Amino acid sequence: MLFFSFFKTLTNQTVTIELKNDIRIRGILKSVDQYLNIKLDDVEVLDLDKYPHLSSVKNMFIRGSVVRYVMLPRSEVDVGLLEDATRREAANQAGKAR
Amino acid sequence: MSFFGFDTTLPRDRDRGPEATRGFFENPDPFAQVAQATALEDDDAIDFEDTYDGLGDQLDDDQDEFNDDTFGGGPNIKPVGKDFDFFGRTAQVADAIGEEQVRYSLQHPQAAREPLQPNVQTPAQPATISTAATSKRTGYEKYEDPGYIPDLQAKSSVWGISQKKPTEPAASRKMMSLEEVEAQMRQHGQSAPNVPAQRLPQPLADPSYPIHPQHLPTLPDGFPPIPPEFLQAQLENGALPPQMPPPPPGVPELYGGPGQLPPGVPLHHLQNANFPPQNMPPTGSRHVGPQPAQRQQQVPPPATRGAQSGMPVITTPQQLMHLTEEQRNAYLIEDAKRAKRNHKIFLLSRGNGLMTPQDKNFITRIQLQQLVAAAGNVADSDPEAVLAEDFYYQVYSQIRGAPRQHPHQPLGHFAQTYLLQTGNRLGGHGSRRAFHSADNHMQRMQQQVQRAVEAAKAKPKNKQLIIEGSLGKISFSNAKAPKPMLNIKRPDSADGAKPKKLQSDLSLSDRKSILTNLESVYNALMSMEDMERTMPPPPEEGDAEAIQEHMEWRQKVHSLNQQLWRALKVMEPIVPSSTTPHPFIALLSYPKGKKAIPRIFRHIDQEQRVTILTMIVVHLDSLDVVRLAQPVPGEAQPSLAVREAIDLFSLAIMPSLLGYVNEAPFNIIIGLLGLVIAQTHVQTVARTKVGLGILTMLLSRAEIVKEAGQASERDWQQWVEKFNVLFDTLEPALNDIFPGSINSGDDMYVWQFLAAVGIGASPEQQQRLVIAVKDRVMETVTYSKTLPADMASQRLGNVNLFMRAIGLDVELLG
Repeated sequence: MLFFSFFKTLTNQTVTIELKNDIRIRGILKSVDQYLNIKLDDVEVLDLDKYPHLSSVKNMFIRGSVVRYVMLPRSEVDVGLLEDATRREAANQAGKAR
Repeated sequence: MSFFGFDTTLPRDRDRGPEATRGFFENPDPFAQVAQATALEDDDAIDFEDTYDGLGDQLDDDQDEFNDDTFGGGPNIKPVGKDFDFFGRTAQVADAIGEEQVRYSLQHPQAAREPLQPNVQTPAQPATISTAATSKRTGYEKYEDPGYIPDLQAKSSVWGISQKKPTEPAASRKMMSLEEVEAQMRQHGQSAPNVPAQRLPQPLADPSYPIHPQHLPTLPDGFPPIPPEFLQAQLENGALPPQMPPPPPGVPELYGGPGQLPPGVPLHHLQNANFPPQNMPPTGSRHVGPQPAQRQQQVPPPATRGAQSGMPVITTPQQLMHLTEEQRNAYLIEDAKRAKRNHKIFLLSRGNGLMTPQDKNFITRIQLQQLVAAAGNVADSDPEAVLAEDFYYQVYSQIRGAPRQHPHQPLGHFAQTYLLQTGNRLGGHGSRRAFHSADNHMQRMQQQVQRAVEAAKAKPKNKQLIIEGSLGKISFSNAKAPKPMLNIKRPDSADGAKPKKLQSDLSLSDRKSILTNLESVYNALMSMEDMERTMPPPPEEGDAEAIQEHMEWRQKVHSLNQQLWRALKVMEPIVPSSTTPHPFIALLSYPKGKKAIPRIFRHIDQEQRVTILTMIVVHLDSLDVVRLAQPVPGEAQPSLAVREAIDLFSLAIMPSLLGYVNEAPFNIIIGLLGLVIAQTHVQTVARTKVGLGILTMLLSRAEIVKEAGQASERDWQQWVEKFNVLFDTLEPALNDIFPGSINSGDDMYVWQFLAAVGIGASPEQQQRLVIAVKDRVMETVTYSKTLPADMASQRLGNVNLFMRAIGLDVELLG
């Protein structure tokens, strides 16, 4: 749940998403669910001349499994907190595994 | 030879010549026989005339006029195309009718409640009715256009009715009386020949004629038509009053029951009410296709028809005829507007009706169930679990202002509000019936949610279920904990090997063990922070249980504190002149180690704090921020990474240390200064920002203690002694403590240090100090004259820190 929890804090921020087919999309993260499916608004496709069919797409729903990277706004990430959250997650996992 | 003497040779075996050698499995040539027949027995060839039964000649070709109307052909009708959207068209009309109806019933609750009144009371006043018609909507507006062919409703009842079609014309032909024949002949003269049932104009043309079999009340869809013969027979027997044939049993009383009808009302008024537009032309010229149109009008779904029959009847043709030209124009304009609006509604409601309300409710229920199932575990657990699952989000929202209003709102509330909303949405139509069903759905959904919650609670804790006798296992998964696709079991040996390796690791200062230590520090820290959150309220006197609880909590905190302390490795023995740094100092060389210090300081007592401070002071010159801070010869300043580390140290650790030092007793300050002098290379330390910062910290604290008069004479003597040693050591290097050249920027910390030294120094020492840094002071003053005003005043202000400390001012240097 860490990633879900993390991405939830990035709603209404501008993120760039790189898909596994190399398309990179920048847009405002509207919502994310536990499968890390992503809803983007005000979409802008980088390298648009390579993907002209996407030129009129204004918002989209991206299935979580096709995402390769999500590029985040640095200022919106609380690194210390994220480190702690990661530790907690690891502890939880370890607790569950036992 | 066969038993019965038939020729048993198969056709394919007969006299084929070389072709007879076909393989057994080969397909026989289907045309072989035909070819044979035509070739060998030419005389017996089948003649078309012989085989044709002549049925086509019996067809009645002059009955074809209405084929186009019936089957939708004809020259004026556009081809429908292969992709005709039956359902969509139907749904559009159904929706439009439904909307019109709801609108109407909202606007005219009166009319809806008293369906019959206008009908019965105003048969003789068509004008009033038609004015009502212009102002009210009936849902029949579109039938005003004689060319309008309403969209068909896909109702199974259509098929029931269509059976009527063939019987009626035949029946009417059979049953025609003299008057009818005459009327028909008149009609023939005016309109298309062979109109089968001339029933509509008749009552108008000849009102004295009491009743026509075909004017019997329309039966509801799907009801088997009453054979006209039957009715006729009943009429002849006098069994039925002519005006009032009772509806057959089971037929809904569409018109409010026969009893409500005054006997004198001619029945055709009622009929006209139900079939307004196509019935209207009294002369035959306009009603070329009455039959299909009427069929379709009979079709509207039973639910809607009830309401429609209740509306005041407007659009009978006569009414329109009675209107003045002006009124009619107004009416038509109005009608066009309505049509336009309806068209808009159609366009907007493309997707309408794809799902019925039941479908929507079903989906909503599924979604709710998912919702509850997904959060089922969280819903009935405490906020602790939420925090564990969703730590980052929860804390981040608290820190940065929550994007959501009630992150902790329990799901029960959530589901409940959601349900209430749903109820309002469905009930908002104002129709009683809809409200009832919505109510019902709400109840059902609530029950469903309750069940789902209970099921989630009752869900077995273990992750899979093995039903006895089955071969597989059933794994439970929900959205929170999806079914694991991979189940990698860590071999047991790995678990055992790890700690052994750790123990065998003698060096506590290699990178891996440092990081491991650091992680255990953080783990201890987090559990301590958790403990802080779960602190029980301070116990009241005499509440043994609370006291007990509090004691236990304190004990836990204490053990966690010990755990943290051990993990910090502060108490590891100091090995003098060893090449590997002390484990605690090594810890501090990592950014996350530095970041941990402020958090650690919150959870440790004063003694532990002074221990940490002492450790830092003792190892001052082996701290990374001191050790690496000397710029490489040729470089103006240390590398970027080191500068970042220094900044982080200043930001994270210095305030914590300062916070302690500001409350520290004087003897500790004296001791620390002694340690600096004894254990470290003071000149090296003094060349770094961190080193100077710590020295400044100690010196200024001593000054404050002295000012406050808290220092005993003996302590003060001790302090002056140490201070003199420090001053003597530093004096030759005072020019080197400034960072780089004069224009390299921030040198405020140096002036602060000098100020701290200057305050504590004796007059003689102050003089030496001035001599030592005079050049720098003058340089800075000169340099600041070349700078913009604000920067210049900043630089001069820094210098003044020092100058004022020794009783001077830069102004004097002017």
